[in-house]
Amino acid sequence: MLSILNIALKDLTQIVRDWKSFLFLLIMPIAFTFLFGIAFSGNSAKEQDLRLPVGIINHDNQSPLSQELEKSVSASKVIKLKSGEEEALINQVTQKNLTAALIIPAGYGESLKSATPLQLSLWVDGVSNDGLSAQTEINVQASRLFSAVQTAKVLAPEGGPAFDHVLMNALQEWKNPPVALSQEDASLKNADLQPVSEVDNNFTHSSPGMILQFAIAGLMSCAQVVVSERKNHCLQRLMTTSASRVQILLGHYLSLVLMIFAQFILLIIFGSLVLKLTYFSQPLATLLITLSASLGIAALGLLIGVAAKSEEQAIGVSMIFMFLFAGLGGAWVPLEFTGKTFQAIGHFTPLAWAMDGFKNILSRGLGLESAWLPAAALLGYAIVFFSLANWKFKTQ
Amino acid sequence: MESAIFVQNLHKTFRNGSSLKAVDGVSFEVAPGEIFSLLGPNGAGKTTTISMLSALLKPDNGATGANDIRIMGRSLITEPLAAKAMIGVVPQDIALYQDLSALENLIFWAKMYGLKGTLLKTRVAEVLDLIGLTDRANDRISKYSGGMKRRVNIGVALLHQPKVIYMDEPTVGIDPQSRRSILDGVIALKNQGMTVLYTTHYMEEAQELSDRIAIMDHGKIIANDSHENLIRLVGQKTRISLSINTEPETMIEPWKACKGVSTIAIEESKINLLVDDSNKVLPRLFETAAAKDVRITSVEIQEPNLETVFLHLTGRALRDA
Repeated sequence: MLSILNIALKDLTQIVRDWKSFLFLLIMPIAFTFLFGIAFSGNSAKEQDLRLPVGIINHDNQSPLSQELEKSVSASKVIKLKSGEEEALINQVTQKNLTAALIIPAGYGESLKSATPLQLSLWVDGVSNDGLSAQTEINVQASRLFSAVQTAKVLAPEGGPAFDHVLMNALQEWKNPPVALSQEDASLKNADLQPVSEVDNNFTHSSPGMILQFAIAGLMSCAQVVVSERKNHCLQRLMTTSASRVQILLGHYLSLVLMIFAQFILLIIFGSLVLKLTYFSQPLATLLITLSASLGIAALGLLIGVAAKSEEQAIGVSMIFMFLFAGLGGAWVPLEFTGKTFQAIGHFTPLAWAMDGFKNILSRGLGLESAWLPAAALLGYAIVFFSLANWKFKTQ
Repeated sequence: MESAIFVQNLHKTFRNGSSLKAVDGVSFEVAPGEIFSLLGPNGAGKTTTISMLSALLKPDNGATGANDIRIMGRSLITEPLAAKAMIGVVPQDIALYQDLSALENLIFWAKMYGLKGTLLKTRVAEVLDLIGLTDRANDRISKYSGGMKRRVNIGVALLHQPKVIYMDEPTVGIDPQSRRSILDGVIALKNQGMTVLYTTHYMEEAQELSDRIAIMDHGKIIANDSHENLIRLVGQKTRISLSINTEPETMIEPWKACKGVSTIAIEESKINLLVDDSNKVLPRLFETAAAKDVRITSVEIQEPNLETVFLHLTGRALRDA
C-alpha cells in the first residue's frame, strides 16, 4: 500500500511541475467553458433585446384610446417603442436606425367611435422583413383596439361608464384568447419528470462539457509521466524493488484519479461560484458522477500511458480520444440536438454518460437516483480500461 | 559458507520473429564479500543474465529445480520479495527521474526500498555524502553531468544497504575522472563487506576489481576463475599485434603455418597472434612476410592478459567479438 501511495505522490509531483498541466487542467477548460457558453447563449433572449425599434409620436396623447394603442404596441414582443421629434424619427427610419415611425394623429381616439376612423401614419421600409413585421404588429394592435371599440359600441350604445367597462373587458379578452397553442416535449413528458424550475443558464452544458473534454486533454501530461518512466528505465528499477507490477500500476492509476478528481472539484467550484451553476444542489449525485468519471477517464489515461511507445504518441492518442469522445459524447453540442442514431453511438463513449449525469443535476434538477446509471456505466469503462492496461503492462 | 549469489543453469531465448538464445546454461557462485565480474563483448549475454538475477526477466525453464537463482540463500524464483530485498541494482542506463532533484529521487527510491522515518533521512544524507553531491542535492537530475548522474544512479542502489549489489557496466560513456571515482567506490563497497556482481566489457576494469572473473561469449560462460588462474590458461603465450602494408588476410595462412603460432585473428586492420615465445617467432614472421613481399609496418608485443585469454578461448579479439 505504501508503495502505491509513494508512486502516486511522485507522479503528482511530476505532473504539477509541468506547466502544461495547468494549461490543460485548469486554464483551457475555463476559457472554453466561456467560449461555448457564449456560443450557446444565442438561444437565450433573456440577455439580448431583439425587438424591432419603432419611433412613436402621439398627437392624441390626451385620449384614453390613443393611450391604450400606445400601451398595447409598447407591450408587444415584436416592437420596442422610442419617442422623439417627428422629423428626427423619420430621418432615423431613412437611415435604418429605426424600423418604423408611427404617428398617431390628433383626434384618433375619438374617431375610432365613428364610422370613419382616422388613419394612422406609418413610415416604414415596406420591402424589408423587419419593416413588414413592424407594420403587421402595429396593424394587429390597431385592429384589436378598433374591434374592442366596435364591441363596446354595440353592447353599450349609451356610452358613459358602461361603454368604458365593456371596452376594457373586450381589450382584456385579447389577452386571454379562447384557443391557445402550446408546445410540449414528448421525451420530457414520457420521462415522468417532477416539475422543476427551469434552470436558465448558458453554461449548464458548456461547463460539464469542457470539464470532461479537458479531463481527457489533461491525460497528456499524466500519460507522459508513465511513458517517460519506461523510457528513463525507472520502471525497470522499480521492478527490482519489492513493489509488484500491480502495485506499480495502481500507484500510477491513483495519481491519475487524484489529478482528475482535483481538476473536477476545482472546475465545479468555479462553475458554482462564478457561473452560478447548481452542482451543489445535489451534492451526493455530483460527487458520485465526479468520482466515477474520474475513475473512468483515469483508467483511459493509464491505458494510453502503458500502451504508448513514446511521449509524442501519448500526446497524439490523448488528443484523438479527446476529440472523438468530446464530439460523440455531446461535450460540444448537446446530444438532445442530435438524432437517435447519433445519440446511441455517442453513448458508446464514457463522456456521454458523464454528460448525462451532470446534466441530470444541472438542467433537469434531478437527484441521486438519476446518477446511479451514468455512474455504473462510467465504472464499467474504468474496469475495462484498467483491465486492458493491466494486460498490456504484463505483456511488456 | 553459503554463497551470496548462486546461479544454476540459466537459459533465456528471445523470440522476436527469429529465435535468439541470449543466455545458454549459465551457472556460477559468488562468495560473500567477493567482487565477481562478468566479462564479455557486447551481446555476450551479460545484461540478460543480470536482468534475470534482478527478477526483471524470467528464466526460460522456471522453477523446475533444473535452474535456480539464490541470493543469500533465498530463491529469486520462489521467494522473489525476500530475495529482491537483499539486492541493489545499478542498471546500465541512468534510471532516475530527470525532472526530480537528486534528493527527491533518493527519498523516492528509499521509500520504495521500504525505508522510512529517521532511517530514511539518515541513509539519504549518508548516500548523498558518499556520492559527493550533498551541495547539489536540490538540483534537478536533468541539470547534472553524465558522471554526476552515474553517481546518483549508484547511490540509489546503496540506500537500503543491500547485501549484494549488481553493477551493469556502470562506467559506460563517462569521463576518466568519474570512472576512477566509480571504480574506487566499488572497492570501498567490497571493503564494507558487500558482495558485488560487476559486468563490463573493459578487461582493465575486470582485472583491477575482481576477485574472480567469468568470461562470457554467445550466452555461455567459457571461463570462470581468478585473474591469475585465467592468465595461466594461456600458459606462457604472448600476444603479438602486427600491421602490414597490404590486406591483413594476405598473411593469415602463411603465418598460421609458422612454428610457435597457436592462434591468429584479425582485429580491425591488425593481425593478432598468440605465440609461444615471441623472441623465436617474430623473426619467422618477418621472414615469411618478406618472402611474400609484404612489409610489416608496426609490431606490438603484449604479455598475457584477459584479452589474450579471450583470444585464446574464442579465436577472436574481445573488442571485435
